[in-house]
Amino acid sequence: MSDTREVISSGNHLAALAGADAGCRFMAGYPITPSSEVIEQMSDLLPKRGGSCIQMEDEIAAVAAAIGAGMAGHRTMTATSGPGISLKAENLGLAQMCEVPLVVVNVMRGGPSTGLPTRVSQGDVRQAKNPSHGDYRSITLCAGNLAECYTETVRAFNLADRFMQPVFVLLDETIGHMHGKAIIPTPEAVTAGVVPRKQFTGAPEDYHPYECESDQPAVLNKMFEGYRYHFTGLHHDKNGFPTEEIETCRKLIQRLEDKVMLHTDELELNEEFMLDDMTGEEGEVLIIAYGSVSLSAKEAIRHLRAAGIKAGLFRPLTLWPSPEKSIKKYTDMIKNVLCVELNIRQYTEEVERVSSRLDIEGLFKVNGRPISPYEIVSKVKEVF
Amino acid sequence: MSKTLMRFTGVGGQGVLLAGEIFAAAKIATGGEGLKTATYTSQVRGGPTVVDIQLDDQEIYYPYANDGEIGFMLSVANVSYNSFKDGVQPGGIIVVDPNLVHPTDEDRKMWKIFEIPIITIAKEEVGNVITQSVVALAIANTMMNAVDKKTLVDTMLSKVPAKVHAANLKAYDLGEKYAKEAMAKAV
Repeated sequence: MSDTREVISSGNHLAALAGADAGCRFMAGYPITPSSEVIEQMSDLLPKRGGSCIQMEDEIAAVAAAIGAGMAGHRTMTATSGPGISLKAENLGLAQMCEVPLVVVNVMRGGPSTGLPTRVSQGDVRQAKNPSHGDYRSITLCAGNLAECYTETVRAFNLADRFMQPVFVLLDETIGHMHGKAIIPTPEAVTAGVVPRKQFTGAPEDYHPYECESDQPAVLNKMFEGYRYHFTGLHHDKNGFPTEEIETCRKLIQRLEDKVMLHTDELELNEEFMLDDMTGEEGEVLIIAYGSVSLSAKEAIRHLRAAGIKAGLFRPLTLWPSPEKSIKKYTDMIKNVLCVELNIRQYTEEVERVSSRLDIEGLFKVNGRPISPYEIVSKVKEVF
Repeated sequence: MSKTLMRFTGVGGQGVLLAGEIFAAAKIATGGEGLKTATYTSQVRGGPTVVDIQLDDQEIYYPYANDGEIGFMLSVANVSYNSFKDGVQPGGIIVVDPNLVHPTDEDRKMWKIFEIPIITIAKEEVGNVITQSVVALAIANTMMNAVDKKTLVDTMLSKVPAKVHAANLKAYDLGEKYAKEAMAKAV
């Protein structure tokens, strides 16, 4: 039996279907363009699967409710757009500190503030890295086609349980609303890939949820099963109660860093499009793009190759933590590098950092309109 | 069949989105690739809306129709017509509802413009204004021969409630009839 299926759908509906198939049984949201179809679809899917979907009074309450479900032990999600993330930021920090798994779908639109509600943007990439104050590491995935709206949301649920923290799935208005064919895994294949979050099975008196290896996440048992512990946004001890003890505080925050950064190999996922014939010879062009812009880049590469210019695309699916070694490998090999983004330099600066190069070219747009393949072709011909 | 690029424009609430979904699904049903991408404003009802429909035999990457490559546009609102007409390639087909859209003489030199009273047909001949999107669908497919007619009609019927199947079939037949008449008159 095939483990894939063909569906005709939109990016937002696929993100919702992925949540339902991945075992999410609670969603709380507050509708906001261009993400509203995610909760609209979940309000149909979840009750049929024994779950609940609730429209809260605002974005803050929505993420709070979703975190509550995560604390209780359920796979849970919320969906919004950039202005919603701004409102949810405080509670996202709480989830990072308490180590509560949660999937946050952000369908990006023009910003700052209420910006351009119905228009495409990638302006929340930097926000996704640090939505809230303090030290922690964001895990941010980014879908670059319809099928990935499904597969990346599924991956987000599995990573949230593995790393015990919120995981962002970035879509954008284009990807969220485009409607067409997608080949996605069957629900059975998704279920087979689910690794539930770790649970402590010893005696309740021996259970200390935050007493774990220095590079591992907390082990949060489901509520109401006899394992008692405490949640707080304050620095906390092994049982979750507030503390200011020097070493406990240091170890806690260092662990939030290390549980992600010492395991980036479990997170990295990239697409290398037409890079296999690149050798580093003069005239080769490396395009770095992600999300819906990568679709434009792929079409541009078709045109560039037809015109005799050897171009290829490096596309990170995991934006944060960034795929440092892979970016370094390609930017060391290829001289002509162009980053294309629907923002101003938000990921280009990361490429500059990890490549140690300040000659990275950029094509940026922030007026709510997509970047067309011809604009990329023209830019490549202009700067290289 | 090579790549077909079509653009439907109107104002929010007229149902142009559904026509795009039907085209994409019908093309996919025949084994090809179909993609519908809509652009609208935050003024949801009454704001200019554009739907790009790409039908191809190979994988479609960029989800919007590139300006200057569109072979067919249909418009039922003047504000949208003026905003999006320049995406149509010179010599391309534009169908407008003459009660709502008013092309200039220069436009008529640039493109093959057909005037079909789409809204009136839906409202008075079919008896249900909502069927205008199916009238539009029929006109587009008759003029562009984009997908197999039976597949398109079957797909359309699968996306509308059973109680309005008869009305939508009538809308399709009328759209096809008016499109053929318009093309015959132009020759």
